[in-house]
Parts: sequence; C-alpha cells; structure tokens
Amino acid sequence: MRARKSKDRGAKKIETAIETAIETAIETAIETINLNVYYNSNHVIKSVSLQIPENVVFAIMGPSGCGKSTLLRAFNRLIELQENARVEGDIKLYGRSVFEMNPIEVRRQIGTVFQQVNPFPHLSIYENVAMGLKLNKLVKSKDELNRTVEWALKKAALWDEVKDRLNDFASNLSGGQQQRLCIARALALKPEVLLMDEPTANLDPIATEKIEDLIYELKKEYTIIIVTHSPSQAARVADFVAFLYLGKLIEVGPVEKIFENPAENLTEKYLTGRIG
Amino acid sequence: MNRLVKEKVFLISITVLSLLAILPLFHILFSVTVNGLPVLVKGGFGFLTGTLASPGDGLGGIGVAIVGTFVLVFLSSLIGLPIAVVAGIYAAEYPNSAIGRLTKTLLQIMLEFPTILVGLFVMQIIVVPMGNYSALAGALALAIVMMPYVAVSTEEAMKEIPFTYREAAFSLGLTRFKVVFRVLMGMARKGVLTGILIGMAKVAGETAPLLFSAGGASRVYFMGIDKPIGAIPLLIYNLVQQPYKNYHQIAWGAAFVLMLIFLAIFIPIRLKIKEVKI
Ligand SMILES: Nc1ncnc2c1ncn2[C@@H]1O[C@H](COP(=O)(O)OP(=O)(O)O)[C@@H](O)[C@H]1O
Ligand SMILES: [Mg+2]
Repeated sequence: MRARKSKDRGAKKIETAIETAIETAIETAIETINLNVYYNSNHVIKSVSLQIPENVVFAIMGPSGCGKSTLLRAFNRLIELQENARVEGDIKLYGRSVFEMNPIEVRRQIGTVFQQVNPFPHLSIYENVAMGLKLNKLVKSKDELNRTVEWALKKAALWDEVKDRLNDFASNLSGGQQQRLCIARALALKPEVLLMDEPTANLDPIATEKIEDLIYELKKEYTIIIVTHSPSQAARVADFVAFLYLGKLIEVGPVEKIFENPAENLTEKYLTGRIG
Repeated sequence: MNRLVKEKVFLISITVLSLLAILPLFHILFSVTVNGLPVLVKGGFGFLTGTLASPGDGLGGIGVAIVGTFVLVFLSSLIGLPIAVVAGIYAAEYPNSAIGRLTKTLLQIMLEFPTILVGLFVMQIIVVPMGNYSALAGALALAIVMMPYVAVSTEEAMKEIPFTYREAAFSLGLTRFKVVFRVLMGMARKGVLTGILIGMAKVAGETAPLLFSAGGASRVYFMGIDKPIGAIPLLIYNLVQQPYKNYHQIAWGAAFVLMLIFLAIFIPIRLKIKEVKI
C-alpha cells in the first residue's frame, strides 16, 4: 500500500517535470494580444494576436505598406515617437506588459536595427557602439567599456574588419559594414530581443549574405524578429513566418509549413508572386 | 546661329549683373583696405594696443576699443548663447506646442527688430536704474541681437537631422533629454557652431545697440563690467563725427581692423560649411 502511493507520487513528479520542461523549452519572448495600431483614423494594424517563441528567427513578411514596420515598432514602443500613432491591445515581453514598463527599459531589452542603415555619422566606429553603454551608465570603467565594445563588434562579425580603425568615422565603412555596426550598437546593450526592419533592403547581395549568416549565429542567444518584403529571405533565415496583409495577420507558423503547405489562399497567392 | 547669339547675350548679361551685385562688397573691401591698411602699417603694433591720440596728435592706438569689443562679444556670448541654443532646440523639438510656436514667432520678430530699439530697451531696464553706461548693459544689448541668429540656425540644424537617427537614438533606451542633447545636438554641431560664429561676427560689428548702453571708452582698457566700455564700431562712429584729420585716419585704421576680425570669424565658417555631410 505504502509502496504504491510513493510510486504514484514519483510518476506525478516526472509528469510535472516534463510539463515545466516543455513550458520552458517553448518560452514565449513576445506576445501580442489583440493589437491595433492607428495613425490618426487610419487603422494600420488590425487585431493582431501573435506569439513569438524565444531564441528563434521570426520573420514578418508581407507586401510594402501592409504594416510590418508599424507592428515591429509597436513591440518596443518606438511607435510612440509618431505623434499621430495610437496603440490598443497588449504586448507582453516574457509575460510582462510592455505598457507597464518604462519605455526606456523596454527599448533596452528589445533592440532595433533599421532599414535605413543609420550609424551616427558624426561618431567614430568605437563611439557608435559605446554611446548607448555610456549614456545609460551600463559600464563601470573605461576598461569594461572597451571590453564590451569589442565583445559587441565580435558578436556582429565586424571586429576583424575594424579593430585597427576604431576611431574612423562610421560613415567611412561600406554599407554592409555600417549595418553590422548598427547590429553591434544594438547588441552592446545586451538585449533579449532584436528587431530588424528589412535590414538588407539597401545592401548588395554579398553584404546581404553576411548579415543573413550573422542572423543565423545570433539566434542561439537572441530572439530575432525580422521584417522582410522578400519571401525568399524569410525562407532562408526564419524558423517561423507570419504573413501580414493589409494590417491583418493572415497566417503564422513554422517556415516549412507556411512555404510548403499554406493554409490560406492569400498566403499562397503572395508566395507565388500573385499579390504584392 | 541666332540661338547661339541669344545664348551669348544672356550669359554676358547675367555675368555683368552678378558682378554689379557684388561690386559694393568689393568696393567696401577695397576702400577700407586702401585707406585703413596704411594707417595700421604706419601706426604699427602700437595702433592695436595703445590708447586714443589727442586731436591733431598722431595715430595713437585703438587698443581700448579692441579690448572692449572682445569683452563685449565674450560677455554677450556668455549671456546669449546658452539661452539661444536651448530656445532653438525647444522650437525644433516642440514645433506644435504653444511655447514652441511662441518661441518661433518671437525669434522671427527679434531677427527683424531695429537694433537701436534694443539699445533703448536695455537703457531703460539697466542703464537708467544703474545710473551709468556699462559693459553689462552693452553685452545684454548685443546678446539680444545675437540670440535670434543662433537660435534660428540651431533650430534649422536640428530639424535637418533625418528622423532615422532620432529613432536610432531612442532605440538605445535613452531619455528624450539624452537623445536631444547628447546625440542629436552633436550631430547638428556644425550647424549650431556656424550660427554661433555668425552671431558673434554680427555683434562684433554692431554700433546701434551700444549707443545707449555701453557708453564707450577710449583711454582706459577695462574698468569693470558695471562701468562704461569701448567697442570698435562705436569708436569709428564717434571719430568720423569729429573735425580732426587724424581721427578720420584712426577711424579708417579701426575699420580695417574690424574687417579683419570679421573675416577671421567668417572665413572659417565658409570653409567649415563645405565639409558638412551626413
Ligand atoms: N507616421 C505615419 N503617419 C501616417 N501613416 C503612416 C505613418 N507611417 C506609416 N503610415 C502608413 O501606415 C501603413 C503601414 O506602413 P508601414 O508600417 O511602414 O508598412 P510596411 O513596413 O509594411 O511597408 C502605410 O499605409 C503607411 O502609409
Ligand atoms: Mg517598412
């Protein structure tokens, strides 16, 4: 009798252990709940509910103007820089509503890389990466600052190309190098999530390939949400894909599923080039 | 053939008209140099450092006025620049707020305001209560003249920064204050600096705001900020009204020095503007 009871208890223990293992294994980094964004009366994001698992590359694709950049900027509240924008619904970062956090904290944890390659042109390569660390007082000494800058540049696969010219102006780098510098600038703050808004839209194919390789490396440690208007790029880099059309989330799922067997007619039309 | 002739006539007339337009400028540069340079050469180093000669008694020096101009430009910058830069940034940051719009309107009015009225205003609020002309009053008058130039060029420089850099700065988790003053202002620094130099060059040559505020001095270099002070334009203005030949010569020499100071501020601005790129 006693033996039987303890055996039951043991089974129960294993069960809960498995449950928590599954839960932690597919932890959600970002979740949107019935998210709506308006610019004045223009309804741009329409009731989008999404779950983005941690440590994956999550692509948001859709034709130009469908609201990809708007959705991305809602995640870390950068959208609030647009005076005419209004957001409804909720966004959670690891279960915590970003609207209950200080936007400054949200943006530190959710870094951004932009479509327009935008290192600060008046600052050196070093200063571009150091800026966020210094102004946020995230390092305690010059030495720690140097180490963190080096770390970030290595993470962004740029260190070897710039280690001898850290005091050069960022504007002297090639476009692809400048974009990797922007990635280093974002990584230096040690965010959990990295938003990338069409990061290769203004780059040549070789620079694009380098950035895509980098994205593959980075997903081991970061959750990467990449916006692209190119389905082929989504197929190359992403684990999960969401298809956005006219502000609505049409379909979301693992990349193979979406590309090989889309559930929605619209998705298939988009992937075969019949819309957008 | 006919078309070619027409084009030639057109080209020649534009060239002639442009030359006519800049002719007065060259005439000023030319006549000031021709009349002023010999005075400076003859007076030597003493002309730059000495005190004013007596009527009919040689060239003496304009050191008092030079010191006065530097003191006035320095003091007026101290008063005017911080306010002007902040006002310009405010107008650029909050263009739609009530205060932002008020600031902008005020700056536009100040830009056009007759400078002699600025002098009268300062006389009312400082000279009359204090009972005497002073460096402080002169500096305040010049600061008021300087501020709109600096503020407007600061505002324009800030507005020229593409939005994407503002977004990038905010994306680093910075407060608005840090975004504006630690990142964007650095990016606009060349525009801001240009405005500052133009403002300083402008007030270095101003006479009218000083007439009822600085008072003028010609024999004592500096008596304190609560005491009257000289300035080169003020000295020129006073000397040309005198009947003495040597005073007219000194005025030409002073004009030449003023022009050199002006060019020394302006030429770097022109060189700087060329290298601005974003
Ligand atoms: N600041 C803004 N004010 C008004 N409308 C905007 C603004 N930004 C974007 N829009 C509009 O919102 C829609 C979605 O834009 P966006 O999110 O940039 O799309 P995407 O990134 O997919 O090309 C577009 O119709 C665009 O014109
Ligand atoms: Mg976009």
